[in-house]
Amino acid sequence: MTSERMVNWADRVAYRLIHRAAKRAPGALSERLEEEWLADLADRQGSLSRLRFAVGCCWATSVIAHDRELGLLPAAAGPVAGGGFGSGSSLPPAWRRTAAFIVVAGLHITVFYAFVVGLDVKFLPSHVGPTVIVPVPVVPKDAVPPPPPPTGFNPPKVDYPLPDYLPPTEAADPNTVDPTPPIAKNTGQDLVEPSHTPDPPAVRHVTGGPGSGFPIPDDFYPSAAIYKGETGAATVKVCVNSKGRLTSEPSIEESTGSDRLDGGAINLAKAGSGHYRPSTDDGRPVDSCYAFRVRFNLKN
Amino acid sequence: MAKQDREIRMSLQTLKVLEAFLENPTDQLSGSDVHSRCGLASGTLYPILLRLEAAGWFVSRWESIDPATAGRPRRRLYRLTPTGLRRASEVFASFNRGVVA
Repeated sequence: MTSERMVNWADRVAYRLIHRAAKRAPGALSERLEEEWLADLADRQGSLSRLRFAVGCCWATSVIAHDRELGLLPAAAGPVAGGGFGSGSSLPPAWRRTAAFIVVAGLHITVFYAFVVGLDVKFLPSHVGPTVIVPVPVVPKDAVPPPPPPTGFNPPKVDYPLPDYLPPTEAADPNTVDPTPPIAKNTGQDLVEPSHTPDPPAVRHVTGGPGSGFPIPDDFYPSAAIYKGETGAATVKVCVNSKGRLTSEPSIEESTGSDRLDGGAINLAKAGSGHYRPSTDDGRPVDSCYAFRVRFNLKN
Repeated sequence: MAKQDREIRMSLQTLKVLEAFLENPTDQLSGSDVHSRCGLASGTLYPILLRLEAAGWFVSRWESIDPATAGRPRRRLYRLTPTGLRRASEVFASFNRGVVA
């Protein structure tokens, strides 16, 4: 008879909830509560009302079981049925409520933290060392030459000649990130123009590079390369407009020797579109092409 | 019984249930009837009914109908016992004590 009233989904759910709630009530009460609740369910008008009634019955089972534990209901009510939200849990209801509250609060805090950090969670293994982006700067010609190096100073090792850009330098510590461009010409040798040469009316050109918001290189360290322990530095050439966006596909000027690492560097360069610092002529952003180095390192 | 009486916690919801029965102490009410009179949700109502029954304030029985004939399942009917009526009256009388009408 009751099943005739369960004509839609909500009614079926309500019926099942009551059946389940009654099943988990203390043993002697189980049959009585199910019949009583199903009879009262039939008096409710509307599927939503019946659904709310059924949910309330689930809660009632929990409260009844708790009452029985406190002795408010006679023990003759029968053995406690097992499992679920009824009497089967080994924890008192107050503890269960506290645990549920803690879990819900923890979930809220986790979601809030995830939004605060912008979901920028690093999943790379801990042995991945910092990768280094080394822009290849162009030192203005009217720059004041730095003081001569102290005696015994070894000039940075030049990896390769770049006609239009200063050569990149090796980082002193491979496991540190140097946010400032390396001073490649601190030897003073290449900065000094012949004293008798008149200063040309050249435009003051400042080469761009990775700017604010540029992606983290570690996120582009290929997993296979990490697994194989591949490290190296690639020189990536990019063409960037005045707004810091790529105008063409980036290319590898100098390979790391690993296709995987080169691919990671290219992916990094692509992902950085819009976050490049454009080159400037007399302070005015201009379209330009320049190179920068990406170094993939692993910790020991 | 006295021991059981002490274990009845007179919450606002319990008082609402008692009030529903005190409107006509001879009435036999099902859970659905009590709900319609005091508006308590099922999760609150049925534990209270069971507590009051266990304390001897209520007795309950199945409705004497033939479900096939009536076209609906039989209800569980509750009514106040003489003890329950006396105790409930005392409780409400104690609340009225000192109140200026």
